[in-house]
Amino acid sequence: MAIADNTAQTTSLGAGEYLTFRLDHEEYGLDILKVQEIRGYEPPTRIANAPEFIKGVVNLRGTIIPIVDMRLKFNCAKAEYNDFTVVIILNLRHRVVGIVVDSVSDVIQLTAESIKSAPDIDSVIDNNCILGLGSIGERMLILLDIETLMSAEDMGLVSSGD
Amino acid sequence: MRSILAVDDSASMRKMVAFTLIGAGYHVIEAVDGQDAYEKALTHTFDLVLTDQNMPRLDGLGLTRKLREHPQFKTVPILMLTTESSDQMKQAGRAAGATGWLVKPFDPNRLIEVIQKVLR
Amino acid sequence: MAESHNQGGGAGSGAFDLTQFYQIFFEEAGENLDQMEQMLLDLDLETADDEELNAIFRCAHSIKGGAATFGFADVAELTHKMESLLDKLRRHELKPTAPMVDVLLESADALRGLLACHQGSSDNPPATAELVRRIGALAAGEEAAPAPVVAPPPPPPPAPSPAPSGMPAAAPVGVQRQLVIHLGPLERMEQADCVEELFRDIDGLGTITRRDSADPRSRVYAVDTRSSNDELLDLFAFHVAKEQVRIEDMAAAPVPAPAADAGFGFFDPLPEAPASVAAMAPAPAPVAASDPGFGFFGDLPTAAPEVPAPKKDTPVVVEAKPVAARVESKVAAPAPQAHQEASTIRVAVSKVDQLINLVGELVITQAMLAQNSRALDPVVNQQLMAGLADLDRNTRDLQESVMSIRMIPMSIVFSRFPRMLRDLAGKLGKKVELVTLGEATELDKGLVEKITDPLTHLVRNSCDHGIEMPEERLARGKPEHGTITLSASHQGGSIVIEVRDDGKGMSRERILNKAREKGLDVSDQMTDAEVWQLIFAPGFSTAEQVTDVSGRGVGMDVVKRNIAAMNGTVDIDSSEGYGMRVSVRLPLTLAIMDGMSVGVGDEVYILPLSSVVESFQIKADEVSTVGQGSQLVKVRDEYMPVIGLEKVFKVPRFDLDKSSNIMVVVEAEGGRVALLVDELLGQHQVVVKNLESNYRKVPNVSGATILGDGKVALILDTVALVRRFKH
Repeated sequence: MAIADNTAQTTSLGAGEYLTFRLDHEEYGLDILKVQEIRGYEPPTRIANAPEFIKGVVNLRGTIIPIVDMRLKFNCAKAEYNDFTVVIILNLRHRVVGIVVDSVSDVIQLTAESIKSAPDIDSVIDNNCILGLGSIGERMLILLDIETLMSAEDMGLVSSGD
Repeated sequence: MRSILAVDDSASMRKMVAFTLIGAGYHVIEAVDGQDAYEKALTHTFDLVLTDQNMPRLDGLGLTRKLREHPQFKTVPILMLTTESSDQMKQAGRAAGATGWLVKPFDPNRLIEVIQKVLR
Repeated sequence: MAESHNQGGGAGSGAFDLTQFYQIFFEEAGENLDQMEQMLLDLDLETADDEELNAIFRCAHSIKGGAATFGFADVAELTHKMESLLDKLRRHELKPTAPMVDVLLESADALRGLLACHQGSSDNPPATAELVRRIGALAAGEEAAPAPVVAPPPPPPPAPSPAPSGMPAAAPVGVQRQLVIHLGPLERMEQADCVEELFRDIDGLGTITRRDSADPRSRVYAVDTRSSNDELLDLFAFHVAKEQVRIEDMAAAPVPAPAADAGFGFFDPLPEAPASVAAMAPAPAPVAASDPGFGFFGDLPTAAPEVPAPKKDTPVVVEAKPVAARVESKVAAPAPQAHQEASTIRVAVSKVDQLINLVGELVITQAMLAQNSRALDPVVNQQLMAGLADLDRNTRDLQESVMSIRMIPMSIVFSRFPRMLRDLAGKLGKKVELVTLGEATELDKGLVEKITDPLTHLVRNSCDHGIEMPEERLARGKPEHGTITLSASHQGGSIVIEVRDDGKGMSRERILNKAREKGLDVSDQMTDAEVWQLIFAPGFSTAEQVTDVSGRGVGMDVVKRNIAAMNGTVDIDSSEGYGMRVSVRLPLTLAIMDGMSVGVGDEVYILPLSSVVESFQIKADEVSTVGQGSQLVKVRDEYMPVIGLEKVFKVPRFDLDKSSNIMVVVEAEGGRVALLVDELLGQHQVVVKNLESNYRKVPNVSGATILGDGKVALILDTVALVRRFKH
């Protein structure tokens, strides 16, 4: 099912621009159109009883947005907070949210041919949230369906009543 | 430039009248009912009063009477806008001291025509 | 008539495009219809106020005028009919009856439909022929007894009236005249009443009709009589001194009756332009073949032959067209936003929103400045500090003003319910009274639009399923009339809207059974509150018959969803046999509230200042622990539960020397708890930001704010905190 889905998505994906970023040793890509801005990390206000990967909320020019640490969510080996830590502010359909990543690389253009569907492997990331694997030169990028990923219930941003 | 005090509690009518008169080169002072018109009369100068009849607080006839009680408004032309021209209305208008009347709904061109006659 | 009356399309002749005024007219007409409807609903048929009847008449008249001018003939026609009926009512020729109110309300609806068609928002014009017929029938007095103003009664011995010499009891000879008689200024208005009575008591004296007078101490009458002025003065002398009577003979002045209805006229020859007057003036010979539509009250010698006995329309002036002057009176109370208010401006909502956002930002910036300036030496920076103090005050004032722009009173939301309930109760054969409380409570305009549908459904529900039939109510010892209460109030940073009824309430049994039927997981051990929440499940309805009254087929689940979409909550309480209460709580968008910041560990939390009762320092031994680890503190004579914020919010503690030893007592919904914190940091105004727009509802937190240093602080939900200990 997942592969069929991904195939469907891949063909509808076509060419596109992706922002690439790093989590630990892996490289990921997400639709540039969802990216509002990129900021440095500032300690958010903690929200009690939230999952560990939700660091809290910050003030983004008057709007309160949650900060999700993707390294914690994806069980990376370590998650440091220093001057190089980056927060990608995403403007999604239902919310604005910031995700903490290790670093941001560049924006690349991918053609439909350079995207293959991801094999159905057991990983921390739900296959529904992976659009496919993109390759550019030597690099292999895990292309994320960032909307689906952030709206998933286990991401903790959506209350069960919604 | 001649000034006209236009009185009507209906904003759409008032705006239309004001627009018409301004287009014809008059300066317009708007009032929303007789009371408002009376107060404005005491603080503005104008050459003619154009007033609706049915208004809250003070209606057209009442306004006309009140104005006529003042020496300074004894001769200013007052035109009443009425919805019909029965003898009744005419008697009442005359008794109150109005100068003339205009039946609603009216053609904007006629309005100008009548006013020009009066202000000649 | 004049050629400016093209239906729809570009109207006007020559350069006059009237379409630009259409929008104003539509809005105005809408407001007039709303006002008319409200007044009709409020109208007391037994003791109808002159003021009210006149106001209702004026609404119809105003719409008619505009409709005719702008070319909406269908609207003008129906309004004209309504106006005729209303005119009779205001002149007391007819007494108001329920069928009249009904047909007028229905006509108002039809007018809305017609106007919507003209505006282009509907292409289904309502039929008006039947309404016109019904209005006509009622106006002809078919179901109403006409008020006895007209017919002079057979002459009883006229007790109060003197028998002045020369005043025969029989009809005096003389020419029939029309007079306008002024009486005044009078010391007692009864004097004028007595004069009126003379005309009633003395057969053949004539007829007298009151006209409105600008001066409340005077009366003006239109009199039709054969008596001479002297005779009248003598007659009146018993009641009113001669000096207080002024008689004007209408016949003396020629009534300029243009042969063709000129549509205009002048009462006296126009000065400086006699030639044109002669040409213009409605001379006996028909002037313009086409209808000029205006006239001057001209004094035309040539018109003399025309003069004799001005058309004896009828001495009974009351039946004439409405030209009546109105008594000078106060503006009718029921119009809080009277359309005659000259000092209002219509503004696009988006502009207001932008303004509010900007002010919100300003408040934050100002707070930041205030914060950063605390470190400065006040002596050295005296002017700066003074300036900042001014800024603080100005910002505060500004935000209050701006906030109030978007806030409108709940009366706007409530206004539709009297009518709706009347129609609904009527259809169902029930007797329901509507009580509204807190109409002045304000809420944000954006919420008004969204809350109306859910509230409507709740009220319909109460009427349909809650309130019993009159017989059943009586059998239960309840008053025949059921009562539905709508109330609104501010609580903390929210607005609470309640729909209460004294109907039969909900049956726990029935709900549980229905839930089981639907396969829901329920048990008899569920608390009442949990059982009531079941009705929010989709498709849930325990009504025996589904009446088609609830219109769009929405259920309580949609109500809940709508309210959740506004970040609100719904609560139900019910007592079987006694009634039900649904409480909707909505956050006020962009509320700016007074907050108290408290410190716990390194974190800052905000409490709504309005819920803070007091605070004090405690020592460890002042807190007693009861079973299950709950703690209590004694405040004067009261024991209060303690909530340690450190524990509830799992605040990490790094500095073990510090601990919480300040108690802040907060109150909400009648209950009190003491919050245990480290320190009180200060009081200041905070801009309430919504946490749920981008995140989700966090327990015990009602929102967030941005502190002076740019950081976010959570605002505590004192209601939730207090509820932890409620039963």
